[in-house]
Parts: sequence; structure tokens; C-alpha cells
Amino acid sequence: MILIDVIRKDLRLHARDARFLATLLLFSASCVLILSVAFGPSFQDPAREAAATLWAALFFAGVLGLTRSLELEGESGGGDAVRLSGADPYAIFLGKTIANFLLLAGVFVFVLPIASVFFDVGDLEALPGVLGVAALTLLGYAAWGTLFAALARGLKARELLLSVLLFPSLVPLWIGAVKCTHALWSGGSIEPVGDWIKVIAVADVVGLALAAFLYEYIQEASE
Amino acid sequence: MILRANGIRKRFESRWVLRDASIELQSGECVLLQGANGSGKTTLAQILATLLAPDRGVVEFDGVPALQKRQATRRAIGFASHRPLLYPGLSPLENLSFFGRLAGVDGADTRAADLLARFGLTVFARTPVERFSRGMLQRVALIRALLPSPRLLILDEPYAGLDDEGTGTLNGLLSEANGRGAAILLVAHERERPGALVGRFCRMHEGAVESSS
Repeated sequence: MILIDVIRKDLRLHARDARFLATLLLFSASCVLILSVAFGPSFQDPAREAAATLWAALFFAGVLGLTRSLELEGESGGGDAVRLSGADPYAIFLGKTIANFLLLAGVFVFVLPIASVFFDVGDLEALPGVLGVAALTLLGYAAWGTLFAALARGLKARELLLSVLLFPSLVPLWIGAVKCTHALWSGGSIEPVGDWIKVIAVADVVGLALAAFLYEYIQEASE
Repeated sequence: MILRANGIRKRFESRWVLRDASIELQSGECVLLQGANGSGKTTLAQILATLLAPDRGVVEFDGVPALQKRQATRRAIGFASHRPLLYPGLSPLENLSFFGRLAGVDGADTRAADLLARFGLTVFARTPVERFSRGMLQRVALIRALLPSPRLLILDEPYAGLDDEGTGTLNGLLSEANGRGAAILLVAHERERPGALVGRFCRMHEGAVESSS
């Protein structure tokens, strides 16, 4: 199955690049550390500050992951060979999206306890909710990120352009994730911020649907 | 006629690299395309392989514009170029199995292992290709193009980096492909290395296929 093959290939390449993984994890941990020092030592609203810090760290670290994913396709023309294989472009997109999602999920699992400890927030009761919000948000991030990475592939200064293109479109996801995580960590119900869950879900669906129509075109046009 | 390219034009910035280049290939024939550096051979090969889109002109595969049935056309073409078109962090076996499965090759792993053995690379089958020499990389790149038993092979400088043994193995595999009716377009400087395989010679000059003999 093409989808599984692409996921396996991307994750295998990431797993073999220890320097990339170390950079990704250290960068995300450093973001949390720096922002916790900036907000602390006496936090005004630890749940809010922790949520903002967690998602800022994840969104910035995610760009590193997407950039690396972009590089992998350019190195020695592997991405061109994938195009020339005649495989279904949307299956390739979905495979890359899921691989990027799993990479981001790995970073999330690494950063979450660090943020919890530094800001002294979060309990086991809130954990399933936070994991659900993370899954929904990171899926959208991976879908939009994979789409924009394909768009930036044929351009000069593509790493810079990827960030420039990506961040504005991720604003609804970022705000939604921060609001929902804050609500869960402050001990309240997620209901008051339920609309933000809908915003995140819509962003996910729009990203995945847009790719169904545009990914092949973007892939061909970016060469 | 398996492939027909007519009036292909391609411009990079202000420079026209291809000017009304036209070429045809029949099933079972092997054509050697030669020309000076910068004459447009590689660009034409990339357009014929559907890697690049022409600015003007049409490429037809089996009488149908290649871009109309892009996926089907790509499945029928094996392409090797100056770049290896591989993932450096993967071993030859991992690369070939991956691309084989993507192209829908039945028993991709077994066929990849067979072809690696023919090119004498079995010992290195599990070593990441980023550690390979130019010649070894070229062998793996050629196997990737040959793996799906394509109906059309477009090989740009296939002999670059190959020793005599590698050249012999490649010519043997190309001869087998020819025998089962595949068309082959070789883009190369040397006339000698493909030997008797070549049935027709074409020359490119200033972006056009000038002569055919």
C-alpha cells in the first residue's frame, strides 16, 4: 500500500538522522525553557502561559521537521523519482502527512512533560483531553505543512518561504490549540471553548480536502 | 509508435534550450541521442520522461498526449538521469523495494534483489547509498529505472561511472528489454559502449534533433 510505504520510508529516514532528531528535540525543549524563564518565576496564569509555550514550541519545532522532510525529497532527486513512479499523488500526500503528523506527535510527547513540570500544570484527568486536542491540531498542522512544503519545493529560499507561507495559515490552529489546552489545564470544561474545536476540525478538513484537488498540480508546477 | 515528440520548445529564463525538437521511437528499437554539451539532450530527455513540461509542443505516448494520462505514462517509462533519483539515507534494497512498490511491481523485493545480484551489489544491498561510489550509485540508479520492466527506457548518460563489467551487465539487461519489445532512448557521448544494441543514431544541435541515421 502506497500510503504505508511512504510513511515507513519517511520515518525510517528521520530515525536514521540522529543529528536532526537531537536538534528537533533540543530546540523544542529550549523554547519551553526560555519561555518558562521569561514568564516566571511567579506565573500569573500558569495554565495559559504553559499552553501558549507548549504550542509555540511545537509550531516552531514543526517547521524544522517540515524543512527536513522537504530536504529529503530534494536530496539526490528522491522526490522526482516518486513523481515518476506514477503512484497516486494524493496517496503520497496522505503518506507524507501522516509521517509528519507522527513526527510532530513524537515531539509533543517529549515536550508535554517538560512544559508540565516547568509550569507546574496538568494532571492525569486532563491528559486524554489534551491528547485529543493535540491529535486534532497536529493533523491539521501536518496537512497544511505538507501542502506548503510541496509548494515551496521548487523555489529558491524554500525554507524561509515555507515559514512565511505556513504560519499565517496556522494561526486558527494555534489559537484553538492554546484556548482548548488552557481550558483543560485550568480544570474547567472544554465546552466554553468548544467552538475552537470546530475551528481546528474545519482547518483539518479544509487542508486535507484542498490537497485532494491541488497537491498533484502543486507538485508538478513547483518543478 | 510508442513515443512521438513534436515541436518541443523549452526556455530557461531568457534562453531557449530546445527549439522545435522532434523525435519518434518505435517499440523494440534502441536510439542513441548524441550532441555537444549544452545542446539540450538532458532537457529533452526530462521532457520525454514527463519530469519537465515543455513550453510548447506535444509529447505523445501510444498516440495519447503524455500529460493527459500522466500516471499511466509514467508507469510505462523507466528514467535514469545525471542525478541518482534515490534517497541517500536508504540502502539499495530499501530504495528499490520502495520505488518498485510505488510503481506497482509484483514481487518488487525479489526483482530488486535479482537485479542487484546481476550488478554485483548483493554484498552492499543493505548499506545506505550515501556511502556509495559514483559507479555503484549509477548501478542502483539504473536498476531503479529497469525495475518495473518499462515499455520505454530513457537513460541519460547511463554509462557514466560504469566500469567494463557494469557496462556489460547494463547492455545485457537493455538487450533483454529490447527483446521483449521495450523502446530505448540512450543519451550518451560514447558510440562504442552501447555497441550493437543501437539501431538508430540521432544528433542534437542547438536545441533541435538535427539528423537521424
